Amino acid sequence: MGSEPITLTIRPAESGKKWSDESLERARRIMARYPEKRSAVMPLLYLAMAEDGRLTNGGMEQVAELVGITPAQVLAVASFYTMYKRERTGKYLISACTSISCMLTGGDDVFEAIELESGVPHGETDEEGLISVEHVECIGACGGAPAVQVNYELIEGVTPVKARELVRWLQQERPATINTDEMQRHFGGRRSFDWAVAEEASAVGPYPAFQPFGTVGGVGEGE
Amino acid sequence: MSRPLVVTRRMVDHPTDSHTLDRYQETGGYEMARRSLDMTRDEIVETVKSANLLGRGGAAFSAGLKWSFLAPDRPAYVVVNADESEPGTFKDRQLLERDPHQLIEGLIITSWANEANHAFIYIRGEYPKPARRVQQAVDEAYAAGYLGEGIFGTDFDLEVTVHLGGGAYICGEETAMINSLEGLRGEPRLKPPYFPAAKGLYMKPTIVNNVETICNVPHVLAMGAEDFKGIAHPEDTGTFLLSLSGHVNEPGNYELPHGLTWREIIYDVAGGIRDGNELKTWIPGGASAPWFVPSLHLDMPLTKQATADAGSMIGSGAVVVMDETTCVVRAALRLVRFFAHESCGECTPCREGAPWLEMMLTRIENGQGRPVDFDVILDVSDGISIGLEWPPKMTTICALGPSAVSPIISLRDHFGDEVVAHIEGGGCPFGRVEEEEVVA
Amino acid sequence: MTARETEGVLVTIDGKEVRAPEGELLIKTAEDNGTYIPRFCWHPRLKEVGMCRMCLVDIETPGGSMMVTACTNPISDGMVVDTKNDRVKKAQEAILEYLLINHPLDCPVCDRGGECPLQDQTMSYGPGETRFVEEKRHFEKPIPISDLVLLDRERCILCARCTRFADEVPGDPLIEFKERGYGTQISIFPNQPFSSYFSGNTVQICPVGALTATPYRFRARPWDLKAVESTCPHCTAGDRISIEASQNQVLRFLGVDVDATNRGWLSDKCRFGFEYLNSEDRLTNPLARQEGGTYEEVSWGEATSIIAQRFGAIREAHGGDALAVLGGAHGTNEDAYALSVFARDVLGTKNIDCRMDDALGTRLLTGIDRRARISDVDTAGTIIVWGPDLKEEHPTLYLRVRHAVQELGANLIVIHPRATGLDDRADLKITYRPGSGSDLLTQLRGGDRDDVNALLEASPVVAFVGRTGYTEGPTMAEAVASWILELEDSRVLPLARRANVFGALDMGVAPDLEPGRIAATETGRDTRQILGGLASGDIRGLLLVGADPVRDVPDGSLATSGLSGAEFVVAIDMFHNDSTAHADVILPALGFSEKEGTVTNIEGRVQKVNRIAPGSGQSRSDWSIIADIATALGSDLGWTSEQEINDAMMARVPAYAEASWDALDWEERDGVVVPAPGADVPVYRPEMTTQPTVGAELVLHSARKLYDDGVMMRKGPSLHRLAPGGFAHLHPDDARRLGARTGSAVRLVTKRGEAELPVQVDPSLHRGVVYVPFNQPGVGPLGDDPVVRVTAVGEPD
Ligand SMILES: Cc1cc2nc3c(=O)[nH]c(=O)nc-3n(C[C@H](O)[C@H](O)[C@H](O)COP(=O)(O)O)c2cc1C
Ligand code: SF4
Ligand code: FES
Repeated sequence: MGSEPITLTIRPAESGKKWSDESLERARRIMARYPEKRSAVMPLLYLAMAEDGRLTNGGMEQVAELVGITPAQVLAVASFYTMYKRERTGKYLISACTSISCMLTGGDDVFEAIELESGVPHGETDEEGLISVEHVECIGACGGAPAVQVNYELIEGVTPVKARELVRWLQQERPATINTDEMQRHFGGRRSFDWAVAEEASAVGPYPAFQPFGTVGGVGEGE
Repeated sequence: MSRPLVVTRRMVDHPTDSHTLDRYQETGGYEMARRSLDMTRDEIVETVKSANLLGRGGAAFSAGLKWSFLAPDRPAYVVVNADESEPGTFKDRQLLERDPHQLIEGLIITSWANEANHAFIYIRGEYPKPARRVQQAVDEAYAAGYLGEGIFGTDFDLEVTVHLGGGAYICGEETAMINSLEGLRGEPRLKPPYFPAAKGLYMKPTIVNNVETICNVPHVLAMGAEDFKGIAHPEDTGTFLLSLSGHVNEPGNYELPHGLTWREIIYDVAGGIRDGNELKTWIPGGASAPWFVPSLHLDMPLTKQATADAGSMIGSGAVVVMDETTCVVRAALRLVRFFAHESCGECTPCREGAPWLEMMLTRIENGQGRPVDFDVILDVSDGISIGLEWPPKMTTICALGPSAVSPIISLRDHFGDEVVAHIEGGGCPFGRVEEEEVVA
Repeated sequence: MTARETEGVLVTIDGKEVRAPEGELLIKTAEDNGTYIPRFCWHPRLKEVGMCRMCLVDIETPGGSMMVTACTNPISDGMVVDTKNDRVKKAQEAILEYLLINHPLDCPVCDRGGECPLQDQTMSYGPGETRFVEEKRHFEKPIPISDLVLLDRERCILCARCTRFADEVPGDPLIEFKERGYGTQISIFPNQPFSSYFSGNTVQICPVGALTATPYRFRARPWDLKAVESTCPHCTAGDRISIEASQNQVLRFLGVDVDATNRGWLSDKCRFGFEYLNSEDRLTNPLARQEGGTYEEVSWGEATSIIAQRFGAIREAHGGDALAVLGGAHGTNEDAYALSVFARDVLGTKNIDCRMDDALGTRLLTGIDRRARISDVDTAGTIIVWGPDLKEEHPTLYLRVRHAVQELGANLIVIHPRATGLDDRADLKITYRPGSGSDLLTQLRGGDRDDVNALLEASPVVAFVGRTGYTEGPTMAEAVASWILELEDSRVLPLARRANVFGALDMGVAPDLEPGRIAATETGRDTRQILGGLASGDIRGLLLVGADPVRDVPDGSLATSGLSGAEFVVAIDMFHNDSTAHADVILPALGFSEKEGTVTNIEGRVQKVNRIAPGSGQSRSDWSIIADIATALGSDLGWTSEQEINDAMMARVPAYAEASWDALDWEERDGVVVPAPGADVPVYRPEMTTQPTVGAELVLHSARKLYDDGVMMRKGPSLHRLAPGGFAHLHPDDARRLGARTGSAVRLVTKRGEAELPVQVDPSLHRGVVYVPFNQPGVGPLGDDPVVRVTAVGEPD
């Protein structure tokens, strides 16, 4: 204790590396979609995740610079939401719902099966950086409970057995992109409602696949 | 029993392509939007008001009345609340995925009626597929000249931005949603003074409506107020989407008229309880609503007023059914855990109180309950929602805090014995595995 | 008018009917009428957030009673409020219990213990005991969030006062909430500290001990402190402070909320800049220089007689004008008055100046009738700042202008050679090359700039006018002031440094003014001329009073040659400094908080300063040292106390006739604003002069930063290390041309000095300008001539 002087110095931006021109251009287009550029913080944070695989300090600094606020203000926003992953995150983020309807229909067992099969407990990532596991609150699939998402692509009517198969499939096949229909076909069961047509777009990382962010992989890409 | 379909008609009739622009137009789509541009703001607001279209996002507030409060300052904005995160609710997802043009048409009319030239569709981040579908439909609408500059050849401009959330239930609360859209933390604003219709997005007049509410708008205009009111119940007009889940044989979304009894809903519509089990309790309107029990509520009709009189709410239309095998302490704990996890942390009672409740319930479920615990739980709840009634006398900024207390009210009113049994019996009588200690 | 408009609306609080202005916040109405509603997050100078929920009360509505926060609800006619019923009590108890469940209750070792709102309100409104048996939330104990502030997240109650302050008041949103819900905490961005000039205010307004200041931590317990109100000695704003001391040591300054000046806020320089008072390097005894240059302690009697003998001899042989006095702007009005009378009547010299050649003309500083008040910015239509960067040199005025623009809707025009703190709030920012200000002014005056014209439509205009830097002479500011005063509804606040410079000028510590702002019939020499005279031998004896010309005069080499040429130099000071090194006799002076008296701020507001500590060793106050020297010189001035000088001053200086100590009683009023020049004092209308444009390729802009290498800073460990150091700021185009980049070195050569400095590429600069912060550690003087030659050092790019 006592009052030795403390000296903190402003550190240069984490990587010094800036985004690719393509991402900066995309960021500019995203900002143009809003009356005020600060409103673009959330989509830009997804863009930052797509750049680095997770939300890095450098990514937040870049977002801050783009919209003209301080990095502390960006962190305040980013840390408020659960989907901006600041920790190292796997290529596949498995999110198992354990909220009320899924819990009533066996979601806890599904989650446990995923943890056991992958060896990754809640909130963590395997050594290789392949799979991250989390249990999440309601993901709006209660009619098809229990439900699981991989990179936010939904599978409904999952059983513990199917959940283990899903994990093994991810580990062995290492699909380049994650497609909801494909997973539903192999690992799902009853759905909340019928899906009309085949879903072409696929996710490539632990962030939602949405074309304006440039975070859609595989087919369906393109402006 | 006749079941008039309004917002799900197209997807029932055309299961493979209800989401396409072609099918939408072929079934009369965008006609009402086109025609509405010849109507005045007052005409539209008046029609929606007299049709008594109630908001479907939870508060069941008259949409037309809300629009009539729009302050004169401009620009004005419209925000579609597609943040659907209330546990048990999945109806908006179906509307977004299966009939996105219906939403866009409703949005055009709503924006025109509220003199907005920029509208936002705020979709929860965990819904990338619905977002893709909506974005695709928006792109199509732009290409067709239904969005953008001078839509339908008039001089009305309308920009629509699809915005993805970041994983926060609280952003479904309209003022939190507005903060989130401004690039701020999704913390609710104080009401007063920040009523969105007066000071909303960028402090400008803003209308926030739920997806289903907006989807109803073209139909209200097409049918006219009287016919819309004639669909079913004279006060709770039109139809509404129920998301049925839990221990029923046929979970799913059902578009229903108001006024059915709970018995009809659970046993006829949802096919009864799984495995022939006994019904124990159900949540009538989303995780925030106090629960109903068969002995008191089974033959009660589902209307806004009847539900309110019975101390609960129709909320987001999410019905979660629990059978006799359910440990209600665990169910309550999961709900409280949800609210604790989703509390924005702005106000003291919700930030500190809800996790405290979660900790105590976890102990009780795990067999470490103390005799005083239930009293402490009730008293801590009382500090969040004084008097422990519904609607609540809340000590918080928004309704999330008191929502966390609804499961406690339900335990107190219907399942006190089961709580005591947990405490006295040193754990869950249903013999479930230990509940993980999570706490936010 | 209705009763509602004249007396406000009728509100019933706990059965008592009161009237208050419609729209006032309920919490305030209640408090003004004797009902205190407990609160944590509400702060009258910040936007309300209603987060802590401590101030819940019950109001009656048509739909039944409702709980609302008193801090966010404006009163309306007929409102019926209950602040004490069972529901309210239940809520208060519950909130306190929630706040305490995770509180570490480490009050015995907490700086706030004893003056903690959480402690106090728990006593009055809290539950008897906590029922929380779960594990408390844990965070790493205090973590530094800046060089001056530590954060203990376990104690934090998340009231958002600090984050709101940082964002709303100085515009430094560097601390924010992080995470959400139960995990919410205050945070900086990793390794980007809360390096705000105003960070200490967060410590003052934190309602618990979550934020503590490193200079104060563990120094005292609140109940050991004694406090006295005073006026901040750091800049001319005259901010109200409370000085707190324990065992004769000043331990902290707190801002006091008065509307006239600082509204409770202080800069960190104001707040922590007092450390020098407790420095071990303080002078304690009179010192006389011996053969060989060493100093020996002497008695006061010996010292005074040496001085009297030497000054007397010079006066005898060469006349009074061979003597000169420099300084006096850091003391009280009483000290300044004594000095002025001493110089004129005892030494017989007109060569006296309290400005260090870095200020404006005395007449501009004292003689304009349309001098603004600080509070005029609140009602200004347009504010113009053409002068120093307020954030660096007048930090609390910076806050006041910021507030007026951000919250009250005033327009703002900022004119300066480079970026300033106010730029982000400016409607219009104009940069220019020092030395070409006349051209710009001609344009503005001729109405050639539509952007300026448009903004000037909103009146009144309040202008802050001063020297943007030291290579721009004082007459430029006079020309600017002249233009402002041509505008119809306009007022000017002339800017100058050193806390009591306005008081010292009013007392006649100036070559062209006699006490009372009266133009002297015969003008003496100003600082520059005095230093020149010393160098040339025209002037032989010099008295320095709290002045360090070697460091403070922009042309430091002029000061050094002057002081080394002097025959006999006396310094009254608290420390050895670069100038006292030339002194023959050095006398230890009392400092701020060690003496009583009055000071005068930028508006002409006279306020009290008060004593709380005895001072070091044999230190004495300036006036009494001067009185003794006068006596030794054969002129007994007859003063035995500050109070007596104050009486004499009031009699001789008509403007100060009302400024008696009694009238300055803090309880009563916010000081006394002395009238602008009136019948007996000439009003000054500055002339519109034009200045020749400097033709050089690169010109020097030399201006101060808040933290520098001044002696008071050097003797305060907390702040001195925050001085940014020397840099040469170059416009990117100039840097490219010179082959320099950020971090590379350049050599600067001026007529008066040279330096080798690291480059900072600075796109905010006007092209052709090199900015070097003035008086930074390790950087020698470059003088005040604008022409500078810059060459790259080391291998080219
Ligand atoms: C904690 C909380 C969460 C909410 N979540 C949602 C939501 O997910 N979707 C929604 O439409 N409304 C939600 N609401 C209600 C909205 O605040 C708002 O009332 C609604 O969007 C208005 O639309 P409506 O009138 O069309 O129902 C929520 C309210 C609260 C207090
Ligand atoms: S009740 Fe909870 S969620 Fe709502 S504002 Fe308060 S802390 Fe945030
Ligand atoms: S003082 Fe009113 S809510 Fe904090």
